[in-house]
Amino acid sequence: MKKALTLVLFLGIISAIAGLGVGAVNSITAPLIEERLLAAERENLELMFPGAEFSAIEGVSDEGGYVTGVFEVVNEGYAVKMETTGYSSSTPIILLVGFDNDGVITNVMALQEQETDGFGSKVFEDDNIQSAYVGKGLDDTVDLLSGATVTSTAVQNAITSAQAMLKDIIG
Amino acid sequence: MWNNFKNGFIKENPVFGLYLGMCSTLAISTSLNNAVGMGVCVTLVLIFSNVIISAIRKITPDEIRIPVYIVVIATLVTIVEMLVHAFMPELYTSLGVFLSLIVVNCIILGRAEAFASKNGVVASAVDGLGMGLGYTFALLLISVVRELLATGGIAFYNPFDATQQLFAFSLEALKPYTISLFSGSVGAFLTFACFAALFTWIRSRSSKKEAK
Repeated sequence: MKKALTLVLFLGIISAIAGLGVGAVNSITAPLIEERLLAAERENLELMFPGAEFSAIEGVSDEGGYVTGVFEVVNEGYAVKMETTGYSSSTPIILLVGFDNDGVITNVMALQEQETDGFGSKVFEDDNIQSAYVGKGLDDTVDLLSGATVTSTAVQNAITSAQAMLKDIIG
Repeated sequence: MWNNFKNGFIKENPVFGLYLGMCSTLAISTSLNNAVGMGVCVTLVLIFSNVIISAIRKITPDEIRIPVYIVVIATLVTIVEMLVHAFMPELYTSLGVFLSLIVVNCIILGRAEAFASKNGVVASAVDGLGMGLGYTFALLLISVVRELLATGGIAFYNPFDATQQLFAFSLEALKPYTISLFSGSVGAFLTFACFAALFTWIRSRSSKKEAK
């Protein structure tokens, strides 16, 4: 019994020291890492929320695994970057979606897409994607675009997954 | 002590002699940059883990020595990983998961158990440095061959600032004959096998000399 207690105590002390060390280094590196993440995304975020202040939200993920970055826009809402595969299996669709503080979609941008011309590409033409999603709340549904089912399903799945995640963040 | 240090290179080279840490060796030896970055990270973790484990070897209860080693190694790897993420983001992206996988790199746990737990602090530090440099040396050999055959040249950028290229050269004669196979895992195995054979030949020759 006494032996077991010594073992537990020793491992506990070692772990506590290790935790302190990791915590100390983390307090130095965490702001730097966040700064780096933001710097890579700042250009696109500025386009969506001009003149706003951003901070990266770390450690969140969506069920579908589409979300690659979540950013809080101070006083304005959230921006979520996601990646999904449509008809073109080699080039994923990269989306940036802006939400206001209540989770209503304010803007949708395709940062990268290479869907079939005349079919999937229609989703991203003529503000189709904006008119379909902007103004939708967290529980609203969106109609798919006929003739571009694969692409619009891919977009919809990603956005639905991001909305579910945002629901948890907003609470 | 000098022998300890020298052993890490040829005779007991962790990669070509002891066949330890193979997973990361094969995966990240695609470019010189990755090799240098990974080599430095592993060497740092190895030196510090050896020093700490050697320093606490007398108070570490024998029954729980492996969990204690793992805690020490995992802490060091996490710290190194956070530092690389903060200061060398390019390297962090290209090394990916293999950076955190240093935790389970057998070289480090192997040296902790085989050397640091039985020897003094200074000797353990030297052993860590020797083994780490041996690992780096092996990575350098493989990565130079692979990068040269796969791209026809070698490029090396400053890990703290990816836009700053420190040196680059390419062999025009080799350009039309690049073999993209060497950037994949097949090329890694082929290159590794050739070097392993070479090192075995060197070792067997020197041991024959000693026998005479």
